[in-house]
Amino acid sequence: MKKLWLFLLIVALLLPAGALAQDMPHAGVEIVTNFMQSGTYDIGAEQLEAGFEEATGIELEIVASPFVVLVQNNITDLSTGTGEFDVISGDFWIGSVWGQMHPLDDLIERDMWTPNIIEGLMLPGPSGYFDGKRIGIPYSADAYGLIYRTDIFEEAGISADWETWDEFFEALDALEMHLEGSDIAPNVFAFGAYEQTPAIFLGMYDGYLVDAEGNYALDHDKAVAALNQMKSLLDYNPEGATGLSIDEANSVFLTGKAATMICWVSFVRADAQNPDASLVVDNWATAPFPGPGFPFLSAWNLFISGLSENPDAAWEWIKYYINEDEAKRRFVELGVGSPFLSTYEDEELIEQYSHDFPNMVANLNRAESVPWIFAAFEIFFRHMGEFVIGAVDVETMLENTLADWSELEVPEGLVQSAAAQGQMQEG
Amino acid sequence: MSLSAASGSTKSQSDWHRRHDLPWLLLFVVPAFIIVVAVQFYPLVYSAFLSLQDWVLTESQTPKGFVGLENFVKELGDSTFQRSVRNSVLITGGALALQMTLGICLAYLTMGASWRMRAVRTLLILPMVIAPVAAGTLWRILLNSRAGLVNHLLSLLGIKGPEWLAHPDWAIVSVILLDTWQWTPFVLLVVGAAIASIPDDLLEAAAIDGASRWKTFLYVELPLLMPLLLLTLVFRMLESLLSLDSIYSLTFGGPGYSTYTLTYYIYTLGLRSFNFGAAAASSWIFMVFASLSIGLVFWYQRRDW
Amino acid sequence: MNRQRSTKQRALALAHGLILGCACLAVLIPLAYLVINSVKLPREFLTVPPTILPSEVTFEHYRDLFEDSKTVRHFRNSLTVTLWTTGVTIISGTLAAYGLARMRLSARILAGVTFIFLFIRFYPRVTTVIPYFLVMRELDLLDTVWAIIIGQLGITIPFVTWLMLVVFQDLPREIEEAALVDGASVLQRFYRVVLPIVMPSVSAAAILTAFLSWNEFLIASSVARRKASVLSMAVAGFVSDKGIQWGPMAAMSVVMIVPMIVFALFAQKYLIRGITFGAVKG
Repeated sequence: MKKLWLFLLIVALLLPAGALAQDMPHAGVEIVTNFMQSGTYDIGAEQLEAGFEEATGIELEIVASPFVVLVQNNITDLSTGTGEFDVISGDFWIGSVWGQMHPLDDLIERDMWTPNIIEGLMLPGPSGYFDGKRIGIPYSADAYGLIYRTDIFEEAGISADWETWDEFFEALDALEMHLEGSDIAPNVFAFGAYEQTPAIFLGMYDGYLVDAEGNYALDHDKAVAALNQMKSLLDYNPEGATGLSIDEANSVFLTGKAATMICWVSFVRADAQNPDASLVVDNWATAPFPGPGFPFLSAWNLFISGLSENPDAAWEWIKYYINEDEAKRRFVELGVGSPFLSTYEDEELIEQYSHDFPNMVANLNRAESVPWIFAAFEIFFRHMGEFVIGAVDVETMLENTLADWSELEVPEGLVQSAAAQGQMQEG
Repeated sequence: MSLSAASGSTKSQSDWHRRHDLPWLLLFVVPAFIIVVAVQFYPLVYSAFLSLQDWVLTESQTPKGFVGLENFVKELGDSTFQRSVRNSVLITGGALALQMTLGICLAYLTMGASWRMRAVRTLLILPMVIAPVAAGTLWRILLNSRAGLVNHLLSLLGIKGPEWLAHPDWAIVSVILLDTWQWTPFVLLVVGAAIASIPDDLLEAAAIDGASRWKTFLYVELPLLMPLLLLTLVFRMLESLLSLDSIYSLTFGGPGYSTYTLTYYIYTLGLRSFNFGAAAASSWIFMVFASLSIGLVFWYQRRDW
Repeated sequence: MNRQRSTKQRALALAHGLILGCACLAVLIPLAYLVINSVKLPREFLTVPPTILPSEVTFEHYRDLFEDSKTVRHFRNSLTVTLWTTGVTIISGTLAAYGLARMRLSARILAGVTFIFLFIRFYPRVTTVIPYFLVMRELDLLDTVWAIIIGQLGITIPFVTWLMLVVFQDLPREIEEAALVDGASVLQRFYRVVLPIVMPSVSAAAILTAFLSWNEFLIASSVARRKASVLSMAVAGFVSDKGIQWGPMAAMSVVMIVPMIVFALFAQKYLIRGITFGAVKG
């Protein structure tokens, strides 16, 4: 009798397992995915871990590392053939290993997977591509933006409808007149976050970033004009702006001490509407980001490592993590900028973010990523820092930058990204 | 070491030493030697090999080939390298002068077994406990020119504080301040322990001979402390040159290249740009300097051997 | 005469107290500010002038920290790493130093051995972490606390050996000779005679090793991923590419300080000379 019960019990346990195994082709497989440790993307993944494991039978391990460590780990892992990670988080920072990622086209086609992601973000550049094949899919999107104080603009009778930086500077002049005698600055930007200054430059510059031979370069005249314009922005910033970090600049705006701010909008959006963190609740909006350059884009992609032994299981995780419901949820709960158009068309959200969304989507559609590896970026922003604090003039700065750049090689993946985004010199 | 002049008694002692002590003493040394050399040997040799190779990991997965001393020549001539050496010298020089002086003074002022002194000592070593990256961030808030506590306190005294982190010269001062704040405790701790280890009878003898406190310090304690002071100095010097986390979070090497130190430079080359050849060459250049400093201590200590 | 001297002494004592007071303030103010920051609301973070007394105290950051299951893991890993590193370092380093000091090696050999140790200690770690990562990969130790411990030992043992070597060399040999006559073995001599005298230095070395190990970031972050991740990595995680989470970082820093204070207080017991100067002067 006892034995019979035991037998039945075992059968009962095995049956569903056997039945499930058919729906779970990857049951028992272990995959490792990584994210930046930021309290946003990584938390979003952890919240899905249990559900994903239950739905697919795949054992998922999430590794979260600080930004610099993540980039270092990804490049080391792929370049040394270690293969610790199946799914990799990254963007142009790891462009040097794009050639070693698993192409996704076949998987997308097989599953007829058509995410409703903003068009511009699915193009090469914002999305990882190599040799014409898609290798990465964006799961976050944030473009450099310009936010302004609606109340101050109204008082001063200025409207935020500029298209170019020249027009924006006219608005700043008007603001300066209006704000004279107060302790509110017309503009604030984190000039002290040295790695952020290229974002302003890129907004003002519409020349090439890679020359016809495939080396890092800049159009001299356009670069000089953009650099000078960038530096003149300092005149409208509060005293000591060259020492402001991102958080410090944000707090200048949030405490009401600046009329406009150039920033990562996703990093301010939630705080600005939170009475515990902000004095400008309901008194701000996102403006168009001026041209002729582009808003600098941060779009994290998920890639499948070419070293992964389980690319199919890895793909299951990518689909589970990147979809419109999750994107909306991460936007609402964690403040992650969503790449999905549906988030910005969501009726509930449109109402809540009417001050923010229209221009945000426009910015995202125009936004571009850069073809810079870290060394190229570092050289540029350091020399730019020297120029901003007045240690060198603009010509010397460009000369030094180009001299240091001449030592570098642009990885193939990033040459292709530059070409696809029109950042290459025609020749 | 010649034994010819040894007297009978020391000779028998040295026989005894050879038979009984030596195996034990060797055994004492072995574990440390194995752990340190075995584990670190390969990375070190590998990096020596790399310093002679042209290899940027982001360009190629394997070294591109032997280039002789080219990496060294290139680094020594590189303007960023030179600038970072200059910054390192300024920062470490300033920080060392401050923390050695302060540390030694505080070590003497906090001697004693009373609970009060123990409490003060424990309090004074606290800055060392904070993770360097957190200490850098903390001081970033303190030194913020607008919203920082330091400038606020200065303004209460009627002084207008400088733009600590935005001005190239003040940024260097800021890094010196941070290093001093965090590592003076190290000097205090090591020197304090050394003072405490001086056998009491030596001092008692001096006191009985009627030597003043100052003379006891100058003629009895200082010579005894000298090797350890020198060791502390060299150690702090190299540690300060190697520090990275705190500068990274305090100034990020800026503004521009203002606080870009040699270690920051090597770090960027190695772990951000993955230029292994150049990073290894710069490291070996650093080690030449480090070796000279260590050699100086040895030269001073040699009298005892 | 007597009275004059006591005035002078009183003045000296006052100066003494004053200097120590200033030093304590210099240490305490930034630390206090760290603690204050950990209980501040975000809006009071970067106000002008700085908010010294927050209008509202929040323990939100601490609550978040302790509700996160990862904190416990980080804490346990950090403790494991620090205890092992400190224990192995102090035992092997002190013994090695004693062995080297008493082996009657020729000056050149001694200098050579010490030099190798120190060379390894001071070689810029940023250049060796990737080869070290590869070694650990081959040994299948990636993402284990052992990879972190072994890596840290390469830093801590050379320092402790060097420090203790200097201490042992300065120790007059006569102190041991009495025991030598009694026919005590090396181990007995070391344990009964030498160790008690150098205990202050040993405890200082232990404190320094523990602090270093507790806060070490570079080695840990290059070999640990998830299972073996430690507190210093968690703190660095509050610095993202888009800014710093001040509040949680301050809270985590405060939490990290506590175990080290306990350790330092414990180790301080041995940091005191038996008889104070006052007693000597009698």
